[in-house]
Amino acid sequence: MKRLTKLILAVGVLLFALAGCGFPGIAGTDRGTIKIAAMSATESSVMANMLAELINHELGYPTTLVANLGSTTVTHQALLRGDADIAATRYTGTDLTGTLNLPVEKDPKKAGAIVKRVFKQKFHQTWFPTYGFADTYAFMVTNQFAAQHHVATISQLKSLAPSMAAGVDSSWMNRKGDGYADFTTTYGYDFKRVYPMQIGLVYDAVAAGKMQTVLGYSTDGRIHSYDLTVLKDDKHFFPPYDASLVVNDSLLKKYPKLAPVLHRLDGKISVAAMQELNYQVDDQLKEPAVVAQEFLVKHNYFRGGED
Amino acid sequence: MADMGTFQQFWYYLTTNGSYVLSQFTRHFLISIYGVLIAAVIGIPVGLVIARNRKLSSTVIGIANVIQTIPSLAMLSIIMLGLGLGVNTVVVTVFLYSLLPIIKNTYTGMVNVDPTVIDSAKGMGMTSFQRLYMVEIPLSMSVIMAGIRNALVVAIGITAIGAFVGAGGLGDIIVRGTNATNGGAIILAGALPTALMAIIADLVLGFVQRRLEPKESSR
Repeated sequence: MKRLTKLILAVGVLLFALAGCGFPGIAGTDRGTIKIAAMSATESSVMANMLAELINHELGYPTTLVANLGSTTVTHQALLRGDADIAATRYTGTDLTGTLNLPVEKDPKKAGAIVKRVFKQKFHQTWFPTYGFADTYAFMVTNQFAAQHHVATISQLKSLAPSMAAGVDSSWMNRKGDGYADFTTTYGYDFKRVYPMQIGLVYDAVAAGKMQTVLGYSTDGRIHSYDLTVLKDDKHFFPPYDASLVVNDSLLKKYPKLAPVLHRLDGKISVAAMQELNYQVDDQLKEPAVVAQEFLVKHNYFRGGED
Repeated sequence: MADMGTFQQFWYYLTTNGSYVLSQFTRHFLISIYGVLIAAVIGIPVGLVIARNRKLSSTVIGIANVIQTIPSLAMLSIIMLGLGLGVNTVVVTVFLYSLLPIIKNTYTGMVNVDPTVIDSAKGMGMTSFQRLYMVEIPLSMSVIMAGIRNALVVAIGITAIGAFVGAGGLGDIIVRGTNATNGGAIILAGALPTALMAIIADLVLGFVQRRLEPKESSR
């Protein structure tokens, strides 16, 4: 029995050592590696790969992805526990109402300021300025429809709405605060018919002409490939979902050169650019890693000015 | 893209993302190998010890058996609670699953060494360590190798699930394929190399195992 205890002890010690030291050849097993969390959505994966490539190429620090995380909550926990150091995509709207449990704030600037302040105080994390795109709900029509009826904003649909069919995300229909009921009050009109459906199907539905307008996500790659026009939310009805990266302060302290490099992406990726990147992954069979690298090379790693 | 057949898409995918697939392939292979190696470093001595102390054998093999019965996804999640997300969790999971085949085969190999051979080794005046090192281990090597081979093939499969704790590897490509709207080709690009890796590992270790088999004439 003595031997067995010794053995178990040895196994325990080894496992403990395992958690600490690295395996040569596998990125992410070493303590110094910068770990970037990515959610399973294409957009998140592309941005995480972009950060990894940027850090790796410009500073030479080893990086690894903690990929396929299911939700913002999981990502948040991973950062708090130190399983990851950087969250590639966080959205002001989601974190404001979800993570922080605060009321909806419709002014993007104010929403950004609140999450930035509270995350600093509560979690010692730095919320970076937005990449420049927001992944929010947006009404969209075909380019042909937009040209024919001269519409560019949601308000301009008012006269057409009584004859229009709209497809929307089923979870949006009965949502409080920014759902359909509140939408009709804010914009002052109703569509003739509203079809609640799965969000992934709306793009095909509008492109096929089955309905005149649909509510989809503003950065989806299919907006580009199906020739759709996103209508401007001129009454600022939908809460802002500006995308940013969030970093643990401990990492920024450890690598002082990191912040300036990460700031190179501030405001550099427009909604159209993100749509194009998503399109290349979702439609052109390219890996997010490949798309991210090509994008950075094309823009010379955003070296303008800082260096 | 939609006008291409799945296999055309598959080739297109490989030509555009070849280096990425290769890097995930290496990563996948290394994760499996490290887990099995650590299990061998620990499992073989444990197997030797329990072959000498038969009383311990039922307890130790019992524990290893219990570990083996835990479903892999559950095991991965339990270890994640302790080690967090990332590669280490997967390596430890692979390690735990590799223990049983390695310990059991080492034990079986040792126990099945012909007692008359051991007796003659004793008669020649060999010490206990010399018997182990010069007679018992060489005679049971092919059975031990069969355990490692078994462990590695299982390990390659388990590493594929590692994508769920963010460890990367070919499982990552498969998961992405299942999320994509038209991901058949992407799933193939992740699944076929995984299968290929398992088959090649099995063939190579099978070859090694046969080379290690004691020759009949020398008995």
